[in-house]
Amino acid sequence: MLTTIAAAQLPVVFVLLTAGTVAKVGTVVRETEPGMLSKLGPAVLVPERWRATAMLCCAAVELLLASGLLLTGHPFFRWGTAGFFAVSTYVLWELRRRRPDAGCGCFGEVSALPVGRRSLGRTMVLTAMSLGLLLTPEIPGWEAMAALTWTHASAALAGLLLLTVLSPEIEEALARLRHRAPCEQRRLDPATALGRLRSSTVWRSHVGLLSSEDPVDSWRELCWRFFVYPGNSHAGAPIDVVFAIYLSGRHPAVRVAMVGLDGRPVATESLPESLPISAGR
Amino acid sequence: MPYRSADRRRTLAAAALGRTVQEPGPLPFEGESFHAVSGTVLDVSPHLIVIDTSEGEEERLVIAPWATAWRGEAVNPADLPRGANVIIKALRSGRVVDRVWADITRITGVIQSIGTEGKDHTVELYCGPHRGRRTIVIPYRSSGRLRVRHPRFEPGYLFDAIGVREDGTARARLPATSQPPYRWTAVPPPPSGYIGVQSRISGTATWSDTFDDGEQGVAYPMLERADTACDDTGVSCVGLPYLALGSMLNVRNVCAGRTSLLPIVACGCLAGRFCDRCLECGTSPRGRILELSPSSFVELGGDLTTGCFNARIGMG
Repeated sequence: MLTTIAAAQLPVVFVLLTAGTVAKVGTVVRETEPGMLSKLGPAVLVPERWRATAMLCCAAVELLLASGLLLTGHPFFRWGTAGFFAVSTYVLWELRRRRPDAGCGCFGEVSALPVGRRSLGRTMVLTAMSLGLLLTPEIPGWEAMAALTWTHASAALAGLLLLTVLSPEIEEALARLRHRAPCEQRRLDPATALGRLRSSTVWRSHVGLLSSEDPVDSWRELCWRFFVYPGNSHAGAPIDVVFAIYLSGRHPAVRVAMVGLDGRPVATESLPESLPISAGR
Repeated sequence: MPYRSADRRRTLAAAALGRTVQEPGPLPFEGESFHAVSGTVLDVSPHLIVIDTSEGEEERLVIAPWATAWRGEAVNPADLPRGANVIIKALRSGRVVDRVWADITRITGVIQSIGTEGKDHTVELYCGPHRGRRTIVIPYRSSGRLRVRHPRFEPGYLFDAIGVREDGTARARLPATSQPPYRWTAVPPPPSGYIGVQSRISGTATWSDTFDDGEQGVAYPMLERADTACDDTGVSCVGLPYLALGSMLNVRNVCAGRTSLLPIVACGCLAGRFCDRCLECGTSPRGRILELSPSSFVELGGDLTTGCFNARIGMG
């Protein structure tokens, strides 16, 4: 049974790799103005002049793996796919840590939302699916797809549904259908962002540090709204606590930083970097 | 809510989002860099100009043989009057004068009322909630060329001209653009349809004289009204993203190939109402995307009397 479920994921992995290739190439080709890649991972982790190359290399690897899975049963491509998704998981984790404002870029510019647990979960699931392929007979993908049974189809559908649930791009696509403009261009009420902040775990973790619950400054930049509160560090020094709330999506990212009056960040002492909150719209 | 400081906002945003804090200023350029020097003329001779800068320092600059000056019309730099407020485009680390604009002013606003004073027209303009109203004079000899480019010379329509300050009065001399054919409250909406987020946006960049002397920065049209106490902001015929006072912009003069990192320091609520093009080098995409301070405009290679250049902006 486990082998059947694992074998059924081959078409899913193939479709995901192919879609990733097409979207990444499309993003690089359509970028008539330079700089779009500065918001998308993993390109954002390399110097600016290599960003398009990095994106295209990533797409080329995906295409190679997809072709290999489809045309041959050689274990190199199955190990390669598992390795690719495992490395992707690490890269997304690193991206989330180093550039919390950047999207994963998994499907090009559609994946512009900041990397969250769902994006990470998706690459983990894909890694597991790819590892599962190592348990299946080493036959070319096209032969396996031609021999799909209803059981296989159901398992593939279940895998696809799981990936859909873990894809923040679906919400972005729905937002594009609902709104005529991207989040950066939509007028959004600061009170909604403040409400989301105050219902977040990040707020509850830091409210004890604030000397006032009235923000001393607030501004919006692109799809982020910032609120600044006066506070005191764990050592008792006066600091500014700045919260950044992503303005789109049902589970917006909330970031926090504590900055001393000299402009230097103050360590957060093992507090989580980001915790999503549930906020219906 | 109080607005504290642009620098502090940049520091805090960078800390929250893991960015690097970038310092404003021109980016490296292969050719010679331009320096803007502004102040009041203390003395001038055919080869040397002495000015009192806004910092209260006395600067002595050599006038290059090819240098030109403008004070309502082209003049010899040596003929500039003492006491004139000048903006100088300087070369060689700011020591050699290349171009001088004296008593220049940018007159941008919405026509409120029109009167006459002899043969001259007086026009009251609304220049935005933070800039207030101003009354300017259109001298009879300039009215022809101004009216050609401003065919709807009536209240509710936009006006944009370049002029000189004389005896405390702004006198329009040159049209800065072709007047938009719509009322200022009827700005065409940005292109419909979801086109994704552009990280670089092209359009027209102009300048404004409502900045402090020597200030480096821009006025940007798409700010949140709640953050800026500017009820007229947030309007543009270009699909601009929302930014804030303090956000850093990468501004490129496409015509001169020069780029600067500049902070947003003012609300460009009127700039967003102009859906015009600049013809400085080819035809720019439609829409005025920012106003620069005169110093920033000059250092990016712009000519204050031309009034605009084709620009491309992105986040810094």
